[in-house]
Amino acid sequence: MVVGDISTGTEVLVIGAGPGGYVAAIRAAQKGLDVTLVEKDAYGGACLNRGCIPSKALITASGLAHEAGTAEEMGIHADPAVDLARMIEWKEGVVDRLTGGVEKLCKANGVNLIEGAASFVDDQTVRVAHGGDGQGSESIEFEHAIVATGSRPVEIPGFSFADEHVWNSAAALSAESVPDRLVVGGGGYIGMELATVYAKLGADVTVVEMLEDVLDPYEDDVKRVVRKRAEDLGIEFSFGEGATGWSEASDGGYLVHTETEAGEESTYPADRVLVAVGREPVTDGLDLERAGIETDDRGFIETDDRTRSAVEHVHAVGDVAGEPMLAHAASKEGIVAAETIAGEPAALDQRAIPAAVFTDPEIGTVGMTETDAEEAGFDVAVGEMPFNASGRALTTGHTDGFVRIVADADEGFVLGAQIVGPEASELIAEVGLAIEMGATLEDVAATVHTHPTLSEAVMEAAENAQGQAIHTLNR
Amino acid sequence: MTVKEFRLPDVGEGVAEGELVSWLVAPGDRVEEDQPVAEVETDKALVEVPSSYDGVVEELFVEEGEVVPVGDVIISFRVGGADGASADAESGDTKPTDAEPDDSEPTSVEAESGSPSRRTFAPPSVRRLARELGVDLSAVDGSGPGGRVDERDVREHADAEGSDPDEDDATDPKPVEMDTGDRKSAVSKRGSAEGAGATTAAEPGSGPEPAGRDRTLSTPATRKLANDLGVDLDDVPTDETREGEAFVAEEHVRAYAEASARPDDEAAPPAGEGGSGVETEPTPADPATDAPGETIPYRGVRRTIGERMEQSKFTAPHVTHHDTAEVDALVAARERLKPRAAEVGVKLTYLPFVMKAVLAGLREYPILNSELREEAEEIVLKDEYHFGVAVATDAGLMVPVIEDVDEKGLFELAAEVSDLASRARDRSLAPEELRGSTFTLTNFGAIGGEYATPIINYPETAVLGLGAVEKRPVVRERSGDGTGHEVVPASTLPLSLSIDHRVVDGAVAAEFANVVMDHLEEPLLLLNE
Ligand SMILES: Cc1cc2nc3c(=O)[nH]c(=O)nc-3n(C[C@H](O)[C@H](O)[C@H](O)COP(=O)(O)OP(=O)(O)OC[C@H]3O[C@@H](n4cnc5c(N)ncnc54)[C@H](O)[C@@H]3O)c2cc1C
Repeated sequence: MVVGDISTGTEVLVIGAGPGGYVAAIRAAQKGLDVTLVEKDAYGGACLNRGCIPSKALITASGLAHEAGTAEEMGIHADPAVDLARMIEWKEGVVDRLTGGVEKLCKANGVNLIEGAASFVDDQTVRVAHGGDGQGSESIEFEHAIVATGSRPVEIPGFSFADEHVWNSAAALSAESVPDRLVVGGGGYIGMELATVYAKLGADVTVVEMLEDVLDPYEDDVKRVVRKRAEDLGIEFSFGEGATGWSEASDGGYLVHTETEAGEESTYPADRVLVAVGREPVTDGLDLERAGIETDDRGFIETDDRTRSAVEHVHAVGDVAGEPMLAHAASKEGIVAAETIAGEPAALDQRAIPAAVFTDPEIGTVGMTETDAEEAGFDVAVGEMPFNASGRALTTGHTDGFVRIVADADEGFVLGAQIVGPEASELIAEVGLAIEMGATLEDVAATVHTHPTLSEAVMEAAENAQGQAIHTLNR
Repeated sequence: MTVKEFRLPDVGEGVAEGELVSWLVAPGDRVEEDQPVAEVETDKALVEVPSSYDGVVEELFVEEGEVVPVGDVIISFRVGGADGASADAESGDTKPTDAEPDDSEPTSVEAESGSPSRRTFAPPSVRRLARELGVDLSAVDGSGPGGRVDERDVREHADAEGSDPDEDDATDPKPVEMDTGDRKSAVSKRGSAEGAGATTAAEPGSGPEPAGRDRTLSTPATRKLANDLGVDLDDVPTDETREGEAFVAEEHVRAYAEASARPDDEAAPPAGEGGSGVETEPTPADPATDAPGETIPYRGVRRTIGERMEQSKFTAPHVTHHDTAEVDALVAARERLKPRAAEVGVKLTYLPFVMKAVLAGLREYPILNSELREEAEEIVLKDEYHFGVAVATDAGLMVPVIEDVDEKGLFELAAEVSDLASRARDRSLAPEELRGSTFTLTNFGAIGGEYATPIINYPETAVLGLGAVEKRPVVRERSGDGTGHEVVPASTLPLSLSIDHRVVDGAVAAEFANVVMDHLEEPLLLLNE
């Protein structure tokens, strides 16, 4: 048997195996398309290897240690000893299981997996450079491509991730020991989650933030709950200052230098500094321009509501296609890309994408805030339920926070919710469903919720918005 | 939002019809005004037909390859789509082929929007349905509380809006499954024209009539079976119900799949046998469908190889010529040269010798180093000697190319072959290294065996397969007295030469083989090459 020239061809080429790419690849294969998935580093992308999953593993583990050591009120006296190396090993085990699972799922669905870094040759061909010495490269022709190359932490002047004492989020998730003093540059969700982890593991943590508060996109009363709790954990905050650089200190540690807008300088002693000031899309090395694709001024690929770039048969999904830079948004976009390519009428028509912050306590939000709804012209009804009025919250020992639900006053349609408190990341799902289904406050309030659970707070908030809450005073 | 039909425009002076060569769009695609939607060939030229609208392709009315008279409707678009974009696109066009007036009432082009708070509330499944049916949700009056839109509202709206009574069968939206649709329903589409004709005259060309339900209950195992057999559960006839819904069991699926898949001749019952054309009764299960076994996806490299094989074998009529070279002298020559090759780090195999021998053959019979260009009706004799060498790899067969065999020495060829082969195995060959061969060699003897019928590396004209070099019995004149014959062991190399019989005849192939053998049997001749 003889075959000529094989430059492999594929119907759908997916670049990047994060939650955007691998989901797109599997769905496209399920639709009967011939799919090739190229990944240069590790299956699962940032999310599984150095983002969502490892951070949540350490948040749980450090939270457990901290909680066990601070439950005297419940009659528990303990002084847990933390073996960080073992904790990190456990986390890696979780990651390995999930990334191995992604690889298996891809194979089981008939996705061709190729390891290497892809770059466009033209709008029908990519070249994949295999890692390692003398591994060479191959070219793959495609009918459709899905770019899912994700994002990476932004470096700021004065701090190089190449320095051992300068961490990005990935380094903070595989540390060898708990630093005595940690300075966190950036009070966004990644900075706050990791600040909490290290505070609970015993580090002295200082968060330096350019703005006047943490967690910029959230409402003041939501932020306040998280910041207060962080302060209780011993985290110190310096607002209105940006980190500008570092120098060595006489005690063998470092000094982190900051500056206010007015030019006032300060220094903070530290053993490690975590820079978590944002993430930027990964498009370098892709040679997008050879496929005729341009990026916007922040480097993102612009796409339409079916995830198509300006070059129609090239889609972009996930972090590389812009906000919201969240794993579940990436996956949804991946599905729409695959189904669109399969000729189905898929579109990014969701009403809302939920978001969660895994601080202590957690934040979960979906849809519109009260202000958003007013700006959109709705006559707004708002209901709240504080967790300190929830039986279940009291029995968990976590009563900070509240559920707020936002609805259209005329017809009662649920438009959004902000939850801060225990398990907020889970509780928000119910409101997400309500929004997508066009459910009303009445629908949510009349649905029987299990007692005693935190989810009752959602029901109560809906009742409160109708002026009929049982366990809170109606406003 | 409206549906606009588009007729084949007058594509050139006096042209009355054209062949629709290919569609450049498919249903569901968004098109812009002036974007080419089809290629049409007239007896004068191949022209691209541009769209007159901004909109979404609704339906294609003509198959590729069909000859269409100018003025016939070939495609329809929905304009002023769900996103409310460019609802007035149709006004701008002045071509004579402009859409005929809408035959439904002049509804549409809704005042999009309303106040911001009038956003449409509809669950995701309904939003998707709306897109599928091309319905603008904001134009639908929701029947639910507060105007919430449900599935029925969308279907009713689509019905009211639809112009063509044939098209608005709401239970059968035309999803845009141009690719997958075929695969899924392959079974229900095949089947017997004649067999079915006896009972379902109305629908020639199909097996048992698909039931076409909206909803069917069954167990997961049955669903899986249906999936494996390519049967749509909603099409499987059944009398059973559960909770008021049709219920399908495994045996129904099997019976339906069988009846649908039976090829014409089998399905046509012998005359006088009751004449009940189609069997819907369960029949003994076919062992093949009964135990589907493991399925391996036919994709990627495997499929590429398959497609090339198909193209070659179904395009070029192959003839394979077999002969055997006696190669004792060659074996000896290689033994003598091997250590010298090793000194310069080269592992010397028989392949470089064979390449040189083939080179000698091709110089004498250039027709075997050629390519038939069917379209141009010409045979191109190549003046370069680029040999493909088939290499088995984990991913499948690859054929890296050794260029300019006529300009390279034996050792050079040997070194190049082993380099290309090892890089083929770790998939690090550049695409250029797999292109441009003029003649191909396949050394299946490396694994074992004597003869084969190699498939030509299309569009080349010939391929030479090499068996294993081994001692085999040969008949020779008894040495000395010249009085008789004896059977003696000798090293032999079995050759299998496939040729494209369109280009060259068997006699030439045999003569070429003789030259090659001559050079293998007397390797000193290779000094000429
Ligand atoms: C610390 C941290 C915590 C987070 N927590 C959460 C959370 O709790 N919830 C949440 O929703 N999101 C979270 N995120 C964000 C989430 O990780 C991202 O939104 C998500 O990973 C984006 O998925 P993606 O598929 O777009 O890209 P990625 O996951 O970044 O994957 C892109 C992949 O493409 C590969 N790649 C890049 N270029 C090439 C190329 N040229 N060729 C081949 N492969 C290439 C990369 O190696 C990578 O594997 C977190 C992020 C961080 C850093």
